[in-house]
Amino acid sequence: MQVSDSLNNLIEATQGSLTGLVHNQFFQRGYLRPFLWGLIRVVADLSQGHYFEWFRGWHVAQVVVLSGLFVALLRVRRAVDAAVVPLGLAALVGLHTFSGTIREAFPINTFMTILLCCFAAAWLALGTPRWWRDVAAALLLVFAALTVETGLLVGVIFVAAWLAGARGLSRTGVAVQVALVAGYFVLRFVVLGVGAPGLEERASGFGFGVLDRDQVAARFGANPLPFYAYNVAVSLLSLVASEPSGGVFSVTQRVLAGEATAINVVNVGASVLGTALIAAYLWTRRREWLARRFTPDDQLVAIFVAVAAANIVMCYAYTKDVILSPAGIFYALALAVAARHFIERASMTAGRTAVASVVLVLLSAGWGYRAIAAAIDLRHAGNVVRVEWAYVDRWLEREHLTPTTDEGRAIVRQLQEDAIWNHPARPTLAGDWLDWFEQ
Amino acid sequence: MSEPRANVLGVMAAAPAVLATVAVLVFAAQELSGRTPLSYGRPINVAEAAGAGEVSEVLRFLRAGWDPTQVWPVRPEIISSTVTRATGLEAAIWGGRQPLVELLDRRGFIRDAETRHHLACLAKDIGADDVVAYLSPAGAPSCDPGAGFAVVKARSQPQ
Repeated sequence: MQVSDSLNNLIEATQGSLTGLVHNQFFQRGYLRPFLWGLIRVVADLSQGHYFEWFRGWHVAQVVVLSGLFVALLRVRRAVDAAVVPLGLAALVGLHTFSGTIREAFPINTFMTILLCCFAAAWLALGTPRWWRDVAAALLLVFAALTVETGLLVGVIFVAAWLAGARGLSRTGVAVQVALVAGYFVLRFVVLGVGAPGLEERASGFGFGVLDRDQVAARFGANPLPFYAYNVAVSLLSLVASEPSGGVFSVTQRVLAGEATAINVVNVGASVLGTALIAAYLWTRRREWLARRFTPDDQLVAIFVAVAAANIVMCYAYTKDVILSPAGIFYALALAVAARHFIERASMTAGRTAVASVVLVLLSAGWGYRAIAAAIDLRHAGNVVRVEWAYVDRWLEREHLTPTTDEGRAIVRQLQEDAIWNHPARPTLAGDWLDWFEQ
Repeated sequence: MSEPRANVLGVMAAAPAVLATVAVLVFAAQELSGRTPLSYGRPINVAEAAGAGEVSEVLRFLRAGWDPTQVWPVRPEIISSTVTRATGLEAAIWGGRQPLVELLDRRGFIRDAETRHHLACLAKDIGADDVVAYLSPAGAPSCDPGAGFAVVKARSQPQ
């Protein structure tokens, strides 16, 4: 649990009543996230001061459930199905869009909560028709959309799955989804007047660097369309090629300077190869899709295409890796499906098998490498967070956020105790081998 | 689909990712058993913690009563092979830079002007400008070039 974006959220969420907290969030400017705050408050109350155990436990539980849903969605029945699970899971955790969902806490990582909602939505949509799926789907969309804006993608998943022939939801259930999404926009922009964050509210990656808020406003304030177009284009590239990241072409810059590291090359290489495999799947299935004949695998890939398109458009005002995380988890699913399809097709002749072996080893090794890099990155983040807690008093002074209540001071003391003394940092990794994972 | 060939391809697809997963799990299991592979292990005193920039470990040593003004042995891999005996304050200049030096100062461990001057000269010698600026806000201290570092280096020589 880091100091910035977490400590103050927790202090704020524990003040007043739960209903008052959620109610007030409906009248903020720029953001409509009442259930994000409600969730923090509920877990904080349940923890009864054992913040570390509860919030960390919640985080771990989210990751475990997400992994379980991933495997469930892949419908593992045969050996070839099981064979692509490790590759898919490596892509799930190794993709750069996933990093922000596990290395930060606010103190609950609600981006991860949205990922769970997205996979749960796919599971509901792809199941056998039941009336309760319609009800659960409606509740899921309301919860997700009022937690973080990307929660609206839950509605996209239901509609995309229905268009691809999945009938877990009834026609009425899908119509309710469309109505709820429309209702969300009316509530946000007409009834509550929450609006959207302004162009000048955040620094943004652009080209080889980052434009600060003033630079963004000066350059694009009069005509933001080129800026929006840039964000959409780079979000697409980021999803399919892992470059740029956060709108910044840092790997390209390093390649041009002759300073690219091993992990830079592997990140881009694994993504490009994975995307090529998904594209090959789409190509081989094009006639079936045009005839509207979808297999369960097709439905998963169709959901990926729809979520990717909607998620990329959502990044129009601000592109950030973690915002793309819903598209990222469906990318991992689509990759596993495409790999399964590739194995089945390539095993028809000996020649194809030989070539496919090389492709699959490269693909699996690349994503395995990225998964290890993600584990190292997570470990490093844990140590960085503990440094933040060591200097927490200084940070609170500098940000003028020093708690004024006894409860607030108690939370700071408790969290610092947990970070420094109760759950100390692990020894720092050392050795030249770390160069292989240097971003 | 040919079953045997599909099985071969399945192994090709699974094996590298499984190996990566096993590597991470084995590492985690070893760490849970109390030994962290591919690391120098935990710092053994407050100077090592400061030299490695592990601020949270410094706080743990301070609470346990360790004195950062005392000279402590420091393994050569922590700072350098020429700095093997240092105070926590000196090591902090290498490892934690200005924020850690300030933290120790706020806790009253820079007890006199002589220590402050020595630390400022050492910081100047090793190019830690942020520390120099913190310890000598009125301007760079007057030091013999290299004298601050020479004290630490001489102390680190094998007896």
